[in-house]
Amino acid sequence: MTRFHPVGRLVELRLLAWVAGFTVAGFVAVVAADAGSFRPAALVVPVIVLAIFAVLHLFLVGIGFRGDQLVLPLAVGLTGIGFVLVQRLAPILLLQQLTWLIIAAGAFVATILVPRDLSVLGRYKYTWALIGLVLLVLPLAPIIGREINGARIWIRFGIGQFEPWEAVKIVLVIFFAGYLDEHREVLGATSRRFGPVPVPPLPYLVPIVLMWFVAMLVMVFEKDLGATLLFFGIFLAMLYLATGELFYTASGLVMLVIGGFIAYHAFGHVAARFDVWLAPFGSDLRFGSGYQLTQGLFSLANAGLLGAGLGAGMPERIPVVWSDFVFDAFTEEVGFAGALALLSLYLVLVYRGMLIALRAPTVFLQLLAAGLSFIVAFQTLVIVGGNAKLIPLTGITLPFVAYGGSSLVTNFMLVALLLRVSDVTARVRNAPH
Amino acid sequence: MRPIAANIRGLTLAIAVLFLLTSLGVGYWSVVAADELGADPFNPRLIAAVRDRPRGRIVDRDGRDLAVSARVGDTYQRRYADRSLAQVVGYASFKYGAAGIEGAYQESLIGQDPSDLVGQWRARYLGDHAAPGAVVLGIDPRTQAAAVAALAGRRGAVVALDPRTGLIIASVSLPSYEANLLVDPKQQDIAWGQLNGNAERPLINRVAQGLYPPGSTMKIITGAAALENGVDPNAKIRVDDPFQADRSWGDYFVRSAAHAHGDFDMALAYQRSENIYFAKLGLQLGGAKLAEYAREFGLGTAPELDLAAARGQLSNGGSLDRPTLVADTSFGQGELLVSPLQMALATAIVANHGVRVVPHYATEIRDATGHLLRTIGGGAGDQVIRPETARTLTALLTGAVEAPGAFAFGAKIPGVAVAGKTGTAEVPSGIPDGWFVGFAPADAPTVVVAVIIENAGNGGLDAAPVGGVVLKAALGR
Repeated sequence: MTRFHPVGRLVELRLLAWVAGFTVAGFVAVVAADAGSFRPAALVVPVIVLAIFAVLHLFLVGIGFRGDQLVLPLAVGLTGIGFVLVQRLAPILLLQQLTWLIIAAGAFVATILVPRDLSVLGRYKYTWALIGLVLLVLPLAPIIGREINGARIWIRFGIGQFEPWEAVKIVLVIFFAGYLDEHREVLGATSRRFGPVPVPPLPYLVPIVLMWFVAMLVMVFEKDLGATLLFFGIFLAMLYLATGELFYTASGLVMLVIGGFIAYHAFGHVAARFDVWLAPFGSDLRFGSGYQLTQGLFSLANAGLLGAGLGAGMPERIPVVWSDFVFDAFTEEVGFAGALALLSLYLVLVYRGMLIALRAPTVFLQLLAAGLSFIVAFQTLVIVGGNAKLIPLTGITLPFVAYGGSSLVTNFMLVALLLRVSDVTARVRNAPH
Repeated sequence: MRPIAANIRGLTLAIAVLFLLTSLGVGYWSVVAADELGADPFNPRLIAAVRDRPRGRIVDRDGRDLAVSARVGDTYQRRYADRSLAQVVGYASFKYGAAGIEGAYQESLIGQDPSDLVGQWRARYLGDHAAPGAVVLGIDPRTQAAAVAALAGRRGAVVALDPRTGLIIASVSLPSYEANLLVDPKQQDIAWGQLNGNAERPLINRVAQGLYPPGSTMKIITGAAALENGVDPNAKIRVDDPFQADRSWGDYFVRSAAHAHGDFDMALAYQRSENIYFAKLGLQLGGAKLAEYAREFGLGTAPELDLAAARGQLSNGGSLDRPTLVADTSFGQGELLVSPLQMALATAIVANHGVRVVPHYATEIRDATGHLLRTIGGGAGDQVIRPETARTLTALLTGAVEAPGAFAFGAKIPGVAVAGKTGTAEVPSGIPDGWFVGFAPADAPTVVVAVIIENAGNGGLDAAPVGGVVLKAALGR
C-alpha cells in the first residue's frame, strides 16, 4: 500500500445497500411497536450508524483497497442488527453504543493503515505475548481494575470501562500464529511417535503451553468462565491448524473435562453455572440463579417459526438481556427462521474468513486469518449454545450484535486484520506488470 | 506433513457441523418445545398477555369469590379472598409466574379453555380473546372454616374429600401466606424474598406436597393386606413388650406404646394402636406383600391431582427387604414418607367399598355467562380390595373411634358413627407429629378427612379432635 489509487468496490456497495435497508426497517418497526407511532427523529441514530458504515466503505475505496468485499457488509450488517436490538432492549444505552461504534470505526481504519507489513506482526511474537499478559493482569490492578457481577475483568478509563480480554484474544492469535509458523515443522514432525501419540521435542511446546497456562490462571482469578473457554479454544484450534494433529485436540478436550470437573468442585461460581445449566427449572433455581436462563428459554419458546414480530415479544423479562441474551431476544421476535438467518450470516462470515486464510500467501498469514475467523465462530457457538441451554452459559458476547464497547472495538479490529490479509493476497496474485 | 490448507478445511467443516447442531438446538426450543414452555405456569407471557383484561374468577362451590381481577390504573390486579386457601388458589404474578389453580387452569382463566375450540381459534387467528370464564372449586366454605378454626394456627395440614368422587372440599396448609402481596408490583419482591427464605416453607401445599412418616395411620393398610390374605381378625396374637423376631435383630426392638403384655385380636389392636400386633402381622405377610398393598393404596406414587403433588416413598430403596424394615413399616415408621392427601386417599379406598378415586380441587369450568364448559373428575377407579374387606375394616376402624378406651375417641360426633385411626409419628426433629385419618358416616361414608399436626405430640389428643370437627362440619351437623 505505497500509493493510494481509488478502486470501485461495487459488490460491497450493493450489499451495504441491503444492510441499510433492513437496519432502517428494523428501527422503524421497533420504535413504532414501542411508541405506537413512528417519529422521524428516531431515525437520527440509524442514519448516523449507516453514515459510519458508508464512510468505512468510501475509505476502503479511497485507499484502493483490494481485499474481500463480503467481510465488511457482513460485519456491519450484524452491527446494524445489534443497534436495532439495543434500541429494542435498552434504548438508554443507544448513544453509548454509538460512541463505541465511532471508536470501533477509528480502530478499524487504524488497523487497516498502520501495520505497513503484516508479516512483521509475527516477528514480534514475544512482545505480543507480553502485551497480552499485561492486558490480562490489568483488571487485577488496584485502582483501574473493576469487579462487576463477581467477575473482575474490567478496567476503568475515561468514558467507561473496557474488558481487556477482548483484545487479548486477538493478541493471542497473533502470538500463536507467529510462534507456530516458526516451529510447526518441529511440532508436527511425524517421525517420532509413540503409538498414536506424537512426541514433539518438548522444549518447543513450552512457550505456548506456558502462555496458555498463565492465561488460564489469570482468568480463574478474574472468575470469567467465557474468556477462559475462548482462550482454551484458540489454543486448541491454532495447534490443530499448525500441526493437523488431532491428538492435540483430543488430549486438550480431555484436559478440558478434567479441568471442568476440578473447577466444579473447587469454585462455587463454576458449580453454580453447571447446576443452573442442568436443571434451570428446578424449584430451588427457577427464581434464583436459574431465572435468567429460564426466562431466556421462555423467550425462545415464544418464537415459533416466524416469531412474535419485532417489538411484539417479551424478551425484556430476561435480566441483562442486551448483553447476555440478545440471541434469545432476537429469536423471540423474528422466529426460528430469523435465528437461522442470523446464524447463516455468522457462518458466511466465518467461511469467508477461512477462504481468506486458504488463499493467503504465507503460513503466518494463513494461521492468522484462520485463527481470527475461528474466534468469531467459537464466540457465536458458545453464547448461542449457552442461550439455548446446549452448554453452560458463559459471559461471552455475541460478536457485533451484543451490546458492549470492548467487544465492538476489538471485533472491528479483527475484521480489519482479516481484510488486510485478503488485501495482501490480492496484491501478491495481481502483482503489477 | 499435512498442508495447512487441509487443516483449515477440517476446522471449517467442524465449525459448520457445530453450527448445524446449534441450529437444531435452537429449533428444539423455539418450535418443538414451544407449546409446552408456552403453557408453563411460570412463563410470564400468558399472564402478561391479559394484563389489560380481567382474568377469570376462581370460586368455591357456593359461588363465593376466591380470586377476582380488580382494575388498577390501566391494568388489572388479582385480589385473593381467603388466606387459608393461598396454596390451593395460588397466585398469578407478572414477575413470578403462576401457581396453584391460577397456574393449573391458566388457559381457562384467560378465556382459552381447551374445550373452547371457537375461543381458541379466535384468540389465535383474530387476536380476540374470549371473555374469561370461571373455575369452580369443590371447596365447601363451612368445612374449610371449621378446619381453619380447629387447627388454630398450628403448623400442619387438613384435607377433607368426598370418597365417592375424590372432590376435595377442604384444604388447609399452615403456615399460609398473603398472596395479595405477590401480585402487588410494589411489594412482590420483598414478599417473594421473605416467603422463599422462610424455613417453614409457607409456599408449599402441605396437603399434597408435605411428606411425613404416617405413624399408626399406616395400620389401615397393613390390616387391609392381612384381611385380603386370609388373616382371621378374631385370631389372637400374643404381644409382649419389647418384641424382636429373633436374635439377629441385635439390640433392635419394636416397642408397644402401652408396654402391653397380652393376647390381642385385630379389633383391640386397632383400638389400642398396638405396634407389636401389626409388626407381627407384617412379618407374617412378608415384605413383598406388604409393599404391594402399600403401592396399591397409593404410597410412593404421586396422586393424579390437578395441582402439584409429591410422590413420597415406601423406603429409601423402594422395597421392603429387611425384617426390621418390614416390622417398622407395618406400623408406619421405617423409611415411609407420605402426604396427608395420600393418607386421605388410602382411607377413601376403605370408605368407598375398596375402589380408588382420583382427587381433584376443581369441579367445573364455566364461561363468562355462567354456561358450563366442562366438568372435572369422575370416572370409576380400580378395585383395590374386596368390598367385604372394606366392610370388615370399616367396622374395625369404627371401633377404634367409638369403643370404650379407644385412642381416637376425640373424633366422635354425637349421633353419627365415625371410623378412623390416629397416628403419632416419630420424626427426626424431636416432638412427634400427630395424625388422624377417618370418615363418616361409617355405614355410608360421604367425607374422608386427614389431619397432620407437626410436632404436636400425640395423634389421639391433638389430631383426632380436629378430624371430628371437620367431619361434623362436612356432614352439616
